[in-house]
Amino acid sequence: MQPASSLPLGQPRSAGSPSFVRAGFLGGNEFGLIVLIVVFATLFTLATKGFASPFNLFTLGRTMGIDILIGFSMMVVIVSGGLNLAVGAIGVCAVMAAGWAMETFGLPWPLGLAVCLLVGAALGAVNGEAIVRSGVHSFIITLATMSIFFGGMVFLSRAEAFRELPPAIAAFGKLRLMGFLSPLLLVAVATALVLGWLYRFTSLGRRMLAAGASPKAAEVSGIRVDRTIVGCHILSGVLAALAGAMLTARHGAAIPSMAGHLGQDWLLPAFLAPVLGGTLLTGGKVSVLGTLLGAMLVSMLTNGLLLLRVGEFWVQAFLGLLLLTAVLLDLGRRRLLARHRIAV
Amino acid sequence: MSEVVLQARAIGKSFPGVRALDKVDLTLAKGSIHALLGENGAGKSTLIKLLTGVHRLEEGELLLDGKSVQFDDPHAAIAAGIGVVHQERNLIPRFSVAENIMLERLGPSVLSRVDQATLRAEAKRWLDLLELDVNPATPVMRLSAAKMQLVEIAKALSLRSRVLLMDEPTASLTPHETEHLFTLLQRLKRDGVTIVFVSHKLEEVLQICDSVTVLRDGRNACQSQPMTGMGRQDLVRLMIGRAEQIPAWETRDRTTAPVALQLDKVSTSLGHQDIDLTLHRGEILGLYGLVGAGRSELAKCLIGLFPLTGGKVTIDGQPAAIGSVAEALNRFGLGYVSEDRKQEGLVLAHSVLDNAGIAVWSKLAGFLGFLKNGQIRERVLPAIERLEVKTPSLAQQVGLLSGGNQQKVSVAKWLAAGVRILIIDEPSVGIDIKTKAYLHELIRALADDGTSVLLITSDMPEMITLADRIAVMDGYRLTGTLVNDRDYPRMSQGIMNLIHGEEQDAA
Ligand SMILES: Nc1ncnc2c1ncn2[C@@H]1O[C@H](COP(=O)(O)OP(=O)(O)OP(=O)(O)O)[C@@H](O)[C@H]1O
Ligand SMILES: [Mg+2]
Repeated sequence: MQPASSLPLGQPRSAGSPSFVRAGFLGGNEFGLIVLIVVFATLFTLATKGFASPFNLFTLGRTMGIDILIGFSMMVVIVSGGLNLAVGAIGVCAVMAAGWAMETFGLPWPLGLAVCLLVGAALGAVNGEAIVRSGVHSFIITLATMSIFFGGMVFLSRAEAFRELPPAIAAFGKLRLMGFLSPLLLVAVATALVLGWLYRFTSLGRRMLAAGASPKAAEVSGIRVDRTIVGCHILSGVLAALAGAMLTARHGAAIPSMAGHLGQDWLLPAFLAPVLGGTLLTGGKVSVLGTLLGAMLVSMLTNGLLLLRVGEFWVQAFLGLLLLTAVLLDLGRRRLLARHRIAV
Repeated sequence: MSEVVLQARAIGKSFPGVRALDKVDLTLAKGSIHALLGENGAGKSTLIKLLTGVHRLEEGELLLDGKSVQFDDPHAAIAAGIGVVHQERNLIPRFSVAENIMLERLGPSVLSRVDQATLRAEAKRWLDLLELDVNPATPVMRLSAAKMQLVEIAKALSLRSRVLLMDEPTASLTPHETEHLFTLLQRLKRDGVTIVFVSHKLEEVLQICDSVTVLRDGRNACQSQPMTGMGRQDLVRLMIGRAEQIPAWETRDRTTAPVALQLDKVSTSLGHQDIDLTLHRGEILGLYGLVGAGRSELAKCLIGLFPLTGGKVTIDGQPAAIGSVAEALNRFGLGYVSEDRKQEGLVLAHSVLDNAGIAVWSKLAGFLGFLKNGQIRERVLPAIERLEVKTPSLAQQVGLLSGGNQQKVSVAKWLAAGVRILIIDEPSVGIDIKTKAYLHELIRALADDGTSVLLITSDMPEMITLADRIAVMDGYRLTGTLVNDRDYPRMSQGIMNLIHGEEQDAA
């Protein structure tokens, strides 16, 4: 090849030197998030008493683990150019089904977990199929299924929690490694590794990205765009179910209201993490590490602000503001991309 | 020499990893047609974008009527009387033809009601001037590539600029439409308009241009020279530093080889009727026709994007009912290089490597769908290198390459895909002459290795260089097939006869 870098680089201007590429990374979301996390962690450690205590780190890690998974469950559909408003509903439905199965049939927890993930996958598949077959935007479809799933669950469970679960579940939620580390955080990190591997090294992951970035080009290149989108929603369902399972471990029970009405409490962290992390809202670009860091930042801010005795309401308002800022930044970046694309 | 209208001095521009332009000069005389030439990635489009405020001018100087000017955005350039037709389409797909043409002048103020009737009447004037027969109320997205290009030209003309910059305006036009455009450009020139004309078709340049500037690797290879006395080979030498090599290929006969693809009385949902076609193993079968003949549409039906409504398709002797492109590719080894690189050919936001590899992923995927970048590289690099795709790295976003280099990636990914039957639709649009020759060699080599190629091209010389046989299509029907003996005048006459045959019969 004739790399353009072999061109006579007339003047030693900034362009052309490798520092340009590095500047791109340093200006990227991941780096910015790491800086923010370090800054806020320092701030909270100095300003509050309990922030760096082993117990707070343990509860913080637990929340982070769950928030990361919630973020992932949204990220995997954003990648395909869609979204999934039903993540919370799916998560709760999945654990309620598993709770019922464990209580009624005395299933051991691994089977319970399997039921949970399967139900998540099935509900995700329903979303995916409905979107692909109807051709209606995922926003509308998942808005509808959010109510349907949640309503169906409330009807079937009569809004009763399942509290007689195998004790191993609650024990897992309480487990503290080295005095401060929650295994839930490790589950989230392991999931991140699997997802990173999926998008980076597998043909399935790349198909998802291609289908999200340019469905038509993907189709003509021999990718089954429809199947791929259904796949994204199934994956989203599984991840939401896993998030639900982790939440169940924390509570020691499967509770219908644990994600709020219709599962809506999950929506803010679900969108915040990927958007902060630099996953393009229009699809086709993903950052697993960014989502992980984004979720960590959100959990940490919530935790720290609460320790500072800022009221719950203000925390929510603050997070909303953060989301808005992130979306605006995303918009700016898209404009830039678009401008370059015209500029070809 | 007549008075200078626009002058660019020592223009420079860098992108990350690329020095696109370096101390480039350009002088445009009033009432002339000026050719801007160079290989793919030489910097032509970048120069045009700097002159029209798309990119900010940071190195060098721009003089309009001898006075230094600086355009901060495209609007400022339009206001100064500089109109442009960019290489890539900048139309709003859902808006009508009229709205697109009149986009800058939808009404006296932003709140005034848009008067559609006036818009359409005004737009119609410019469409008529180009003899473009479309209803101004049609949404632009329903038009073919050629018609969109003409709409874009109409839009630029309607601004009545003093300087008109045209970046490959004829890339997707047929000879007929091109001729018409040229008549119009000559008229504008007589009226004192200055035109810059970018094209990779040197015959066109020799036909209408008065002066020429050639760029090579972002520098002037020549600056505003008169065209008088210049021939094709002079231009080629300025562009690539050596003379053109025209391969002398002997004619091949593959009709005795086994049949790879057979169409038997095929009709389609897009309106094709009774198509009979036979493609042999290792054969290059050309499919010629005017714009709107239904060639790309036939290809899209064959690969499963649109359903067939009758007849039989046989691949390697087996009946083939193809329901999706994935099935065509994975089950029958049938691939399609789209003519529309922006929409169907490339994922613009993804890297060169991801684009080049997309058609081989399913083939190379190992355990759990695991892909090795090394393997993909090995597979696609030969084609990418042979076509000299100019990019700072394989990780570069494809959308940031020059137009011709994007086209190379769009074609290369299929040349590397290892399919047994390949339908290639307008492969060399926007590709420079040097690479075009390499591309032809690649296609020929592919066929020699046993791949059957169905070649759709409106470029008659390309057709006659490559095809073993030529099928001619008109109005969604096949009108005949010729054996290509590579005698240019005879073949082109034969093809034209087949296209107009029916009309003559009817007359
Ligand atoms: N926005 C951009 N970002 C990065 N590189 C760019 C950008 N635009 C152009 N380039 C690079 O600048 C160089 C010149 O590109 P340009 O589009 O001007 O070429 P061109 O002469 O118009 O080629 P073609 O004949 O293929 O249209 C190329 O190497 C291209 O990759
Ligand atoms: Mg160009």
